[in-house]
Amino acid sequence: MSKREHLILCVDDEVVGLHVRRILLERAGYKVLTAPDGPSGLEIFNREPVEAVVLDYSMPGMTGDAIASVMRQSKPGIPILLLTAYVGLSKEITSLVDIAMTKGEGAPVLLQNLNSLLRENQAS
Amino acid sequence: MNLDQFNRILRQVLILPVVALALMAAALYWQMHDANQTVNLIQASSGWINQAALVQRLVVDQESGLRGYGITGDAVFLQPYFEATNRLPAIFDGLEAGAGTPEQKAAVLNLRGACQEWQEGFAVPLIATLKAGGQTNDVTLNLQGKQQMDKIRLLETAIFRSAAARRDQRIRQYQQQMRSMAIYLVLLAVVVGLMIGLYMRRQLQQVSDAFRKSLNVIRQRADETFRSEQNLRTTLASIGDAVITCDADGKVLTMNAVAQNLTGWTEQEARGVALSKVFEIFDESTREPVENPVAKVKRLNRIVALANHTVLRRPDGSEILIDDSGAPIRDQSGALSGVVLVFRDVTLQRKSQAALLANEKLAVAGRLAATIAHEIHNPLDSVSNLLFLMDGQATPEESAEFLQIAKQELSRVTQISRAMLSLYREAKAPVTIDLKEMLESILLLMDRRFLDTGVTVATDLPPGLQVRGFPAELRQVFTNLLTNAAEAAGEGGKLQLIVHPAPAGFDENGHSLPSGAVVVISDNGPGIPEPVRSQLFRPFFTTKGESGTGLGLWVSKGIITKHGGTISIGSDTSEEHHGTSISVFLAFDPVIQLGGD
Repeated sequence: MSKREHLILCVDDEVVGLHVRRILLERAGYKVLTAPDGPSGLEIFNREPVEAVVLDYSMPGMTGDAIASVMRQSKPGIPILLLTAYVGLSKEITSLVDIAMTKGEGAPVLLQNLNSLLRENQAS
Repeated sequence: MNLDQFNRILRQVLILPVVALALMAAALYWQMHDANQTVNLIQASSGWINQAALVQRLVVDQESGLRGYGITGDAVFLQPYFEATNRLPAIFDGLEAGAGTPEQKAAVLNLRGACQEWQEGFAVPLIATLKAGGQTNDVTLNLQGKQQMDKIRLLETAIFRSAAARRDQRIRQYQQQMRSMAIYLVLLAVVVGLMIGLYMRRQLQQVSDAFRKSLNVIRQRADETFRSEQNLRTTLASIGDAVITCDADGKVLTMNAVAQNLTGWTEQEARGVALSKVFEIFDESTREPVENPVAKVKRLNRIVALANHTVLRRPDGSEILIDDSGAPIRDQSGALSGVVLVFRDVTLQRKSQAALLANEKLAVAGRLAATIAHEIHNPLDSVSNLLFLMDGQATPEESAEFLQIAKQELSRVTQISRAMLSLYREAKAPVTIDLKEMLESILLLMDRRFLDTGVTVATDLPPGLQVRGFPAELRQVFTNLLTNAAEAAGEGGKLQLIVHPAPAGFDENGHSLPSGAVVVISDNGPGIPEPVRSQLFRPFFTTKGESGTGLGLWVSKGIITKHGGTISIGSDTSEEHHGTSISVFLAFDPVIQLGGD
């Protein structure tokens, strides 16, 4: 667990899922910002010093890959973790982000992935 | 040429020679009449000449009598003289009357005058002198008498000559007439003969032409009949369906190769055998014998499609599923003279149809799989996160809250899985289905899909509308129709799902419909052009290219038909009102047609 509180942005249209994820990440020692859709997520991403993004893939209006490519253009260094409820997303989509994982793989996997992303980012 | 024409020709052939010969006879008669007249004239001429000769003789008699009297002085010698003198006037009258020309008449008058002159100027005075006892050797008188007699002789000769000439002329005329008659006869005979001959020839030619023509037609007909029979035989032999023909008593007449193969009977074995023996059929499910098709055709006297699910039992005991129809054969009076039976083996078709149905069910599932995964993974993610939190340092209050959320999320999963399962778990018998409940659970399954594509669904689902049927099948239908509508509407499209009750009534074809409910699914997509619309319910027809099986609507229609319902498509491709609307009518309490799919 990190000493310093990293600022994480979570984007998901699933209200309950987002709420639970926020609690989980906060308990794990992160500062968490949330957004229910792509445009508001991008707005927060550009405004706040976000250090990592946990992004849902399937959202009405703007899907995760579209959001990720916009984020890469403005702040390419910020690691993005794509969470998806679908299995077998195409390579084109997963290559846009740092890590892609399926929902339901469990909290430890998510935390571990996020941690490693942040560490790699700090190291580089 | 018909019989009337032929009879007319026969009549003409009889009448023409009769008429021609009658005309010829008339001409002949006319000619003979002419000749007769000429003969009469010749006879008249001869008569006249004889009269003239008589005059000559009488004149000689007068002269001789007179001379005899002069010599002998005996009055007896005068008797011929007086006789001749008495007869002459009448004969001269006759000659005058019979004279043919004025010249002749004049010659007769001259002669008469000369005779008179001789009589009165010589004979009478001489007789008187002699009677008185005088002498007769007066030279002057005698010379005068001789001169007068010479004149008479001259005149007589002239009359004879002219009369003979006239008679000769008439004879020549007669001969001429005879010659020309002969020529006419020959000519007429030749002409009439030719005419009759040519006419006969023409008429007989017509008859012979007509005969030849009929002969050709008959030959051609025979050829055609032969050809068409060969055609039919070949067609029958090479046709893919089994064909059996029977007489009106239901005895087998012919069987093609396929029929022999399917029934297990050869044509020789089956010929004359009752069809019910060769073609032993019964119902697939009830195992009850099915009505003999010949009997059925005879009873209904029209083409009949035989019962569905018919099984044919072969002599070796094996059974095949068949699909068949029977049609009456009628003679010219329209009476039934036989029955044609056409059938085919549908065992394979039924298997492949079943495979197609299963395939389509899988395709519907496949199309939903992604959304279902999504719908399950989302709550699963929350639950696993919540469990992780509860496992850590959570206060009892927090744990209670997490538990509550986890329960809610789990119930979502249950709901989804139940909705999904009900798509596959089929009831054995029809059950009561609440349309609102069923459609809402389908929408639940498809919700994510709609969200992802930005499709909004406006619903009007009144509660309490219940129909009887097989829920899984109906779910498949509506899932299918909603998927189609969403795809047609495209990104950001709008769908409408409306259910309304439909009172009993009649459809557009006049068929009575029981009371039920209509489910209408409309989209605002581009619409379906007319040529495509008519093909939509055909199997393997798809507008979705590789991504569609082309079976969805075909299967849906089958399911709805089985439920005694109807499905219809209305579409508009115009700029302002484009879109498609599918209406499904379901009866509240339908007669389920098992095997209708």
